[in-house]
Amino acid sequence: MTYTVRTKQLTRAYNGKEAVSNVNLNIRQGEIYGLLGPNGAGKTTVMKMLTNLVKPTAGEIEIFGKKLTPHSYHLLGRMGTIIENPIFYERLTARENLELHCEYMGYYNKQSIAEALELVSLKGVEGKPVKDFSLGMKQRLNIARAILTKPELLILDEPINGLDPVGIKEFRDLFKMLCKQYGITILISTHILAEIELIADTIAVMNEGKLLQEVSMEHIAQQTAEYIELTTPSTQKAAYVLENYLNLTNIRITGEAELRIYDCPIPQSELMKGLVLHEVELEAVHQKKGSLEDYFLSILNGGGTIA
Amino acid sequence: MLKLMKLEMRKFRISSYIYAALLATAVIFILMCTFSLNAEMREVFPIMNYENLFTILDVLVRGTYIVFAAVLLARIVIEEYRSKSINVLFMYPINRKKLIAAKLLVIIVFVFLAYILTNLAVGISIYILNQFISIIPEPLTLSMVFKTLTKIVMSALATSFLSLIPLYVGMRKHSVSATIVSSFLVAAIVCQTVEGFNLFSIVAVPVSMALLGAAVAYFSIRNVERDDVL
Repeated sequence: MTYTVRTKQLTRAYNGKEAVSNVNLNIRQGEIYGLLGPNGAGKTTVMKMLTNLVKPTAGEIEIFGKKLTPHSYHLLGRMGTIIENPIFYERLTARENLELHCEYMGYYNKQSIAEALELVSLKGVEGKPVKDFSLGMKQRLNIARAILTKPELLILDEPINGLDPVGIKEFRDLFKMLCKQYGITILISTHILAEIELIADTIAVMNEGKLLQEVSMEHIAQQTAEYIELTTPSTQKAAYVLENYLNLTNIRITGEAELRIYDCPIPQSELMKGLVLHEVELEAVHQKKGSLEDYFLSILNGGGTIA
Repeated sequence: MLKLMKLEMRKFRISSYIYAALLATAVIFILMCTFSLNAEMREVFPIMNYENLFTILDVLVRGTYIVFAAVLLARIVIEEYRSKSINVLFMYPINRKKLIAAKLLVIIVFVFLAYILTNLAVGISIYILNQFISIIPEPLTLSMVFKTLTKIVMSALATSFLSLIPLYVGMRKHSVSATIVSSFLVAAIVCQTVEGFNLFSIVAVPVSMALLGAAVAYFSIRNVERDDVL
């Protein structure tokens, strides 16, 4: 297994307080790796350390199999990065900004600018100065800049901030495409669970500077089983009926009027019929897939913090 | 390095600063004309001969370009930190020391060239003007010209380095206003003239201040690889 990025006991302290402590990441080549955590968990600091903007106080970083040092400029040329807010030379046009980027990166493919602008749907506005762009447009341009030079590793810190739902979907597909077609390894951070769930192969959960878990999505899929949630004023009665007449054992009463049935072997229609026949009042029935959210919250709680 | 300097000039649209320098030259010319033509002004600034004329001109140009350099420093260096575009710049596969050095070199070269050109342009204009309306009675000798030219080049060299001193103040808090205010202080020190006597004319003063400017530049580059960019 080849790893694009590995960190060993990566630590960064600010004034004696550890913002990132002993983080071990293992990002495999060609995967989409999601870094998940609430605000202030240390995600951005990790990413800044990977790009040499912030130096670790302890620990090691290995990128493309080489140790990252303050002089590892050649490694930076193989990465595309978005850190925090989109920053541009506001007085210059979008095209000029991208041209400068190409010059600094030492990348001379004239077509790539047009291609990148097309990929992020910014065609036709490249002649406008960036200061006239909306946040969403700047974010799009930011992504264009990151993918412009076809890097081997993309580091994206909250790339979908400021995008509309259509844009989010668009970029989700774009990231997947870049990963599949070009074999680009993508490290993406976000605090929006639903987003990462849809694209990541591996997820790392961070909180308060610590890495709580690093798991593959496959593993999470097994962990988060499906269930049916019933809303009824008489949960006790419903539970009794389910157990004794419908022979369901995996039942949990989760609230005053909520009840969950896990691994339901019978179709939902049968279930409803059984309950109605035994005069259980039903207000609502929902089929739910245990989301990453539940899993995420359980990890955060298990880590000893109150979510 | 030359390429990095070119990119910097492209990034900050150096042409607008060239226009600004031309404008400054015109203003200095007008000022010099008032000094030498207006009777009241002539009492304050006794322009009796070419030496007086060139000294006053040099002081004006020096003051102008020290402040001008501070504006460039603010725009090319400080603003880049303020707007955090330095984050983007420092993620390029280019030595950070070179990146900052390129920025400072652009400023040094700009000030050096503009200083000499403004001095020449205004000096020659007044010389030509003098042929029509006699301001200065004595003729301009060749030795005088050479002496003045050497003086201009030396003083341009010193000024281009000593005008980096405000960078030290500006980098503390990445403040544009602090940079420009401190440049006024520097200008006040090297431009004050008391009855024809000028601090700048003591060779040790411009030399040590130029060295100080070079030191400021060195210290702003020295740790740039190790420092965090927040």
